[in-house]
Amino acid sequence: MASPIRILTAVPICDGHDSAINTINLEFIRYGIEVVYLGFHRYVSDIVRAAIQEDVAAIGISSYNGGHIEFFADVVRQLKKKQADDIAVFGGGGGTITHDDAREMKRKGVDQIFFAGTSLTDMADYVRRQYAKTRRSRANSKPDLALARKLSEIEDAFANNSRKRSTSSSRARTAQRSTPNKKSCKVIGFTGPGGAGKTTLIDELVLRFLQHQPKTRVAILSHDPSVIGAGALLGDRATMINSQDDRVFMRSMATRGQAGGLSPATESCLALLARSGFDYVIIETVGTGQEALPFRNKLVDQTVLVMNPDYGARLQLQKIVMLDVADIVVVNKTDLERAKAALSEIEQRLTQNKRKQQIVATVAKRHRDPGVDELFELITR
Amino acid sequence: MSKLGAVVEAVEKHGRFVLEQVKRARSDERFAHAVIERWNKIKAETPIAKAPTGLPLPRLALPEIDEPGEIARYLFSEGLPGEFPYLNGAYREMYLEPLREIETGSYGNKKSSNGDSNGAIAARVSRAKIPEPPTRPFLQEEPTRLFSGLMLAEDTNKRFHFLSAHQRSKRLSTAFDGPTLYGIDSDADGVFGKIGEGGVAVDTVEDMVRLYDGFELGASNFSASMTISGPAPIIMAMYIAAAKRRFGPKVVPNLRGTIQADIFKEVQAQNETIFPTEASLRFLCDMIEWTTANMPRWYPVSISGYHIGEAGATPVQQAAYTLSNGFAYAEMLTARGVPVDQFAPRLSFFLDCGLDVEYIALARVSRKIWAIGMRDVFGANARGQMFKLHTQTSGRSLIAAEFKNNLTRTAAELMLAYMNGTNSCHSNSADEPFTTPSEEWIRLAAHGQAILLEESGIFKHTMNMLSGSPGMKAVERAVEKAILDEFREIESLGGVLAAVENRYQRSQIQNAAHRYEQQIYDGTRPIVGLNRYRNGADEMPEMELARTPRAKQKLQVERLKKFKKKNAEKSKSALDKLATVVERGENCFPALLEAVEVCSLGQITGRLQEIVGRFRPMV
Repeated sequence: MASPIRILTAVPICDGHDSAINTINLEFIRYGIEVVYLGFHRYVSDIVRAAIQEDVAAIGISSYNGGHIEFFADVVRQLKKKQADDIAVFGGGGGTITHDDAREMKRKGVDQIFFAGTSLTDMADYVRRQYAKTRRSRANSKPDLALARKLSEIEDAFANNSRKRSTSSSRARTAQRSTPNKKSCKVIGFTGPGGAGKTTLIDELVLRFLQHQPKTRVAILSHDPSVIGAGALLGDRATMINSQDDRVFMRSMATRGQAGGLSPATESCLALLARSGFDYVIIETVGTGQEALPFRNKLVDQTVLVMNPDYGARLQLQKIVMLDVADIVVVNKTDLERAKAALSEIEQRLTQNKRKQQIVATVAKRHRDPGVDELFELITR
Repeated sequence: MSKLGAVVEAVEKHGRFVLEQVKRARSDERFAHAVIERWNKIKAETPIAKAPTGLPLPRLALPEIDEPGEIARYLFSEGLPGEFPYLNGAYREMYLEPLREIETGSYGNKKSSNGDSNGAIAARVSRAKIPEPPTRPFLQEEPTRLFSGLMLAEDTNKRFHFLSAHQRSKRLSTAFDGPTLYGIDSDADGVFGKIGEGGVAVDTVEDMVRLYDGFELGASNFSASMTISGPAPIIMAMYIAAAKRRFGPKVVPNLRGTIQADIFKEVQAQNETIFPTEASLRFLCDMIEWTTANMPRWYPVSISGYHIGEAGATPVQQAAYTLSNGFAYAEMLTARGVPVDQFAPRLSFFLDCGLDVEYIALARVSRKIWAIGMRDVFGANARGQMFKLHTQTSGRSLIAAEFKNNLTRTAAELMLAYMNGTNSCHSNSADEPFTTPSEEWIRLAAHGQAILLEESGIFKHTMNMLSGSPGMKAVERAVEKAILDEFREIESLGGVLAAVENRYQRSQIQNAAHRYEQQIYDGTRPIVGLNRYRNGADEMPEMELARTPRAKQKLQVERLKKFKKKNAEKSKSALDKLATVVERGENCFPALLEAVEVCSLGQITGRLQEIVGRFRPMV
């Protein structure tokens, strides 16, 4: 099976019209495309950076608020400047983009503009036709480009079945967690049920990295579930506003049919990231169930389980296997009523475990949350 | 349980109350007598006026009923126009033309109070004194309020004068450009091409002064609506500062108008929030608290469903989320200690009007539910029970293919809006799918309202012209039930704020939008020119597009730079002062009023974001 086509979609700066792109994303996914969705109100620089890191075949921009000739042209220009002009640009804006506009935009390097009334099927067909081709090697490219392309190559190899999912933990263990110049890299794995707030939490930690550690480079490997037989909506970047930064390398991965919270290619991708000069690599699984143990065989150096206080009765805690294993258990959304009881129940459980586990209470959505500060302290110790 | 559950109970209780009154009118002779007496009095006092062709018609149409139970049912469940629960209209006369000839009746220019006149029946039965209806000056404002904004302040000012040239009352409505909506300055990196697109560029108080030049901001026939929500408190402060610069501080209590400001619908649909939800709500409540105390003629929030509908919600979802958002605001303000009679009369609403059948009764039912909820759950007085509504015809319903059909669509939507007694109305231009309207098409849009209200006889002769039809009543019943069901759903999630945090409204809206597209695709939803009766040509028409010339965009950036340079020293201390107030948790509006004198929009939002953070989108 060939690797799914990956594209990035976004809505330009000062534009919040996301109704069209939300529907279009879903349609693309139904046709087997993996869509990295950046969200609305996005700067050119964020779009270009994301496109490069995610190594997408094309960027689809939906613009309903005017200024599109400039904006699209700017995206093309910046891609070229960063030597990533093998990434195509297409888009639409209902009736706000005229035929004359479209002609000028094409002259400036945009592949295709869809006009009002274009069917969703036509758009999906276009993408599958135009952007399925294999792309040239980027061996001699700048670091981020080369890294992004290599990650794709790893994913492609697994998709084509030329590599089996590595059961050998030795690969993970012996993979040097250091670059040639002996810079050590700490790998932290985040897991937990859907809706617990992993994504927000990670982004808040990134904010602290950027604010307090000017030299630190962070990589993030974020997972989203693939829809059966089809593509995936990789939407974490839209929420992770702080991680859209030159010092953060983020890659979204679809699980591509594998259960357990990660992708078949995760281990190998992680190994590559671990020796690419980052100080921290953060992995985020998809929202996991009670029995999940996604980080086997020392895949990561430190595990963080993020929980919602609304897990149900105390008895439910018995079923959450990660509670016995996680290095740090974060109880998020502790502004909810249930939080106090949840914290004490979980604390009891960890005490029973008699392992060296930490518990932290956070309200990740809160700006400058002291709980998140505490977590940051724990992981950077 | 949030107050939303109590609202559902109150509406159901009201339904039972109505049935009790019906029963009472059929069993209690004195009550029946009082009811019939009132009914006859109303009919006797209703003037008969003549249409231009000589046809005599009553100024208020009532059902042809004489049985006390049915009369009681009508009076208590619907109310006359201007009477609780306001189903038939917030005010007595709405769009009626001034009386030229009176044949019968003693109506004159007196307006009855909006209090519970049915309470007067009870009072009479118990021989209590019936209060005299207070007199009020007869003010007839046209409902027309056209939304406009383009390029720079002086260009929009010109458009304002063009639109209001022949109107008795100057009713303006301002559209802002992308950067302004998101609280970003025109000189920010990467927004140059967006300056003046889709609305007017406003960076400073000086722009605000230019924007409303030539208008008497404190006059009783002038009002300004500003469509902006994320940075609304800052823009409000700029408007006040601009007014003070031109007319002195005494003008402030006379300022009339509204600012949209509604944060809930931003988070649910329009996506123009710039601070985290809680911080945004806090700034909004700060502004409402200050303005309701200092600007008695200003509506500091326009609780909106338009954007919710335009993002794809069904009409019922639109009404349900709007109303529940409104009740949530009422709850928040009450929790803050703001008296209900201070804030409730100053809340206003904004819905769209599309072509779906629900629109026949959507606003009417919303008015009724709001009135009952505010009276019975929040204890609001009559002025606070009133659901004051601005309607905009639906933009989403207008399409690019064979766009002149949009004239018909908008006309139909205007009909529906007036049938629902909207207090204020914007009609979209036919070129809406392509651009901010050109003069030609906006003129037609304005004329559409005038043709329906002034030229046609449908609305100007008789109140209740179309209400009470069996079809309308069927839609009312269905819509009311569906809205209450939505309330129960939101309540079960823990109330509006909890539902918002769970992305409930947002995901419902997205699902509805997707379904809408599917229906267009499979033809369940016919759209003339798009999936039915296509003429095959996909050509876009030749039309004049309103685009901002680069030279103007450059000019805006230059002006802004000059402003910042001039105020460099003072802006630092103003921002520090603002920051302190925010950190301390005090009402930040007074500090904002000072800051806007010397700081740009972007400078203020930037500083605030440092303190409270940036909005984190939910996908």
